[in-house]
Amino acid sequence: MNGDPKARNVLALLTALFLALAVGFALVPAQPGAPVRVPIVPRSALAIAPMTVRISAAQLVKSGGDVSGLDCYACHHKESPPEIKSDAAHRIVLPREHTDLILGMRNCAECHPPSDPVKLDYDDSGNVIVPKAHKGLVSMAHGRNFRNENCYNCHDRDQLDQLHTPDGEKLKFEQATLLCASCHGPTYRDWLAGAHGRTAGYWDRSAGPIDRQECASCHDPHAPAFTGLIPMPGPHLLHPLPKGQPAPSKPDDHAL
Amino acid sequence: MPFDTEEDGMSRRSFLRTSTVLSAGVAAVAAGLAPLRKLGEFTSVDQFLQKYYKELTPQEMKTVLERIETEVQRQYGVRPHVRDYKPMNGVEYVYALNLTRCVGCRKCVHACVAENNQSRNPEIQYIRVLKMPNDGTFDMDKGDHNYAPKSVPEPGFFFMPVQCHQCKNPPCVKVCPVKATWQEPDGITVIDYNWCIGCRYCEAACPYFARRFNFASPSIPSEQLNTNMSYLGNRPRYKGVVEKCHFCIQRSRVGRYPACVEVCPTGSRKFGNILDPKSEVSYILKNKRVLVLKAELGTLPRFFYYFDI
Repeated sequence: MNGDPKARNVLALLTALFLALAVGFALVPAQPGAPVRVPIVPRSALAIAPMTVRISAAQLVKSGGDVSGLDCYACHHKESPPEIKSDAAHRIVLPREHTDLILGMRNCAECHPPSDPVKLDYDDSGNVIVPKAHKGLVSMAHGRNFRNENCYNCHDRDQLDQLHTPDGEKLKFEQATLLCASCHGPTYRDWLAGAHGRTAGYWDRSAGPIDRQECASCHDPHAPAFTGLIPMPGPHLLHPLPKGQPAPSKPDDHAL
Repeated sequence: MPFDTEEDGMSRRSFLRTSTVLSAGVAAVAAGLAPLRKLGEFTSVDQFLQKYYKELTPQEMKTVLERIETEVQRQYGVRPHVRDYKPMNGVEYVYALNLTRCVGCRKCVHACVAENNQSRNPEIQYIRVLKMPNDGTFDMDKGDHNYAPKSVPEPGFFFMPVQCHQCKNPPCVKVCPVKATWQEPDGITVIDYNWCIGCRYCEAACPYFARRFNFASPSIPSEQLNTNMSYLGNRPRYKGVVEKCHFCIQRSRVGRYPACVEVCPTGSRKFGNILDPKSEVSYILKNKRVLVLKAELGTLPRFFYYFDI
């Protein structure tokens, strides 16, 4: 070291600085910024199980489930098929009892034994007065107009526990897919080829079975169009959205 | 180091000064290197010296898989089953996505995260669902991935999920300086997470925004860890490596559908072997109107969008 006092001062300063740094590194731990909390999506929200939507009559019959609730003649009399009622605009008035009874696993016969047929009450305009227990069950929206809402387009007037195609072929409930196919031919063709509908299981048929769903397993035959779904949360926003944009939904909203 | 030369030997003053400077320097260097002490938690000698995936003999691979199982068990408290699935003969995977049916519910995104042990925080997702204006464009820049309406689909928009397209001519593979990513015979482009140096060239090269980088150590809740793991697929990644969709290699290579296919509530996602003329993807490519994203780039994706009608 030379005797230059300036250099000596600089060296002393540097020494003090390094010492302070060493002490600082040793004592003060690194302080990362406040952690960003990304909500964890619960497993239940994913529901990879294939049948998340509904159980169709066909599935129930094929799986050997309880089909006693499917007895049409628990309510109706065989010799007098029910009349279809229309309102002033010629729209069909659907009995509320005929929402998808299987959907909620409701069984008519639990409350309505076949020996005691239901008597329907009508209001002044001829519509069925819906019992409180059946409120909020109905949906009838097959197609974009109301022309296809006539029950007997698909259900057989004389055999209520059967279906029939427009050209008169009689089908059982578990053959409902063929009934859909009688109008929706291209979609049926796609479905047969595997290009329409949900798939699960094995793409390699030699390794295991493929799990396919029939029409009515996903679509409610009385209102086949899908209603909206709540979207699951998008990518986490590391910065707040500009004003006016809605906040993303929370993962708890998504349990199916 | 120059010493005072006025006296023979060392003066008390110069000794003190020199030793102070020296000890300060040593202390500063030691403090600077202190973070390296934690390195032991992240790496081991075996991991550091591990060979390239393609050079590992079956016996060495077995040792590596066991080591990874132990590492994962130490970190998550669950012993996983890590395997090295090999491509099947006569199989080339192709993915088809029905843009007419997709409603943008993002279930595929989260099924993928759960299946493939992606980091939850910081968040890594392989699939990005874009809300696109329904005006005939397929310009990804016009898409919005932060959409959050009360209910999807929204009128006036269509939804286009984008993930790794498993290109036949992958730009990401070309740019990798260490060959840590390559295309397998069944068409899946994979990454050796132990060989990746984290330069992110591949991320920049991908025109589909498919690759993700682990800026921090991934965090996954132990109870959500998928213990069915594959070496090239969903084993937990390290900080500083790139990852991406691999068609659920741990599922597809045993003949199963990827998680995103199984979870899709609208059946928009189709997957299969294009070399099998009876597979659903063969039917779709033969009979449907099919679109390839950014076809002008010549990447030849194995991921096709199609339409009904």
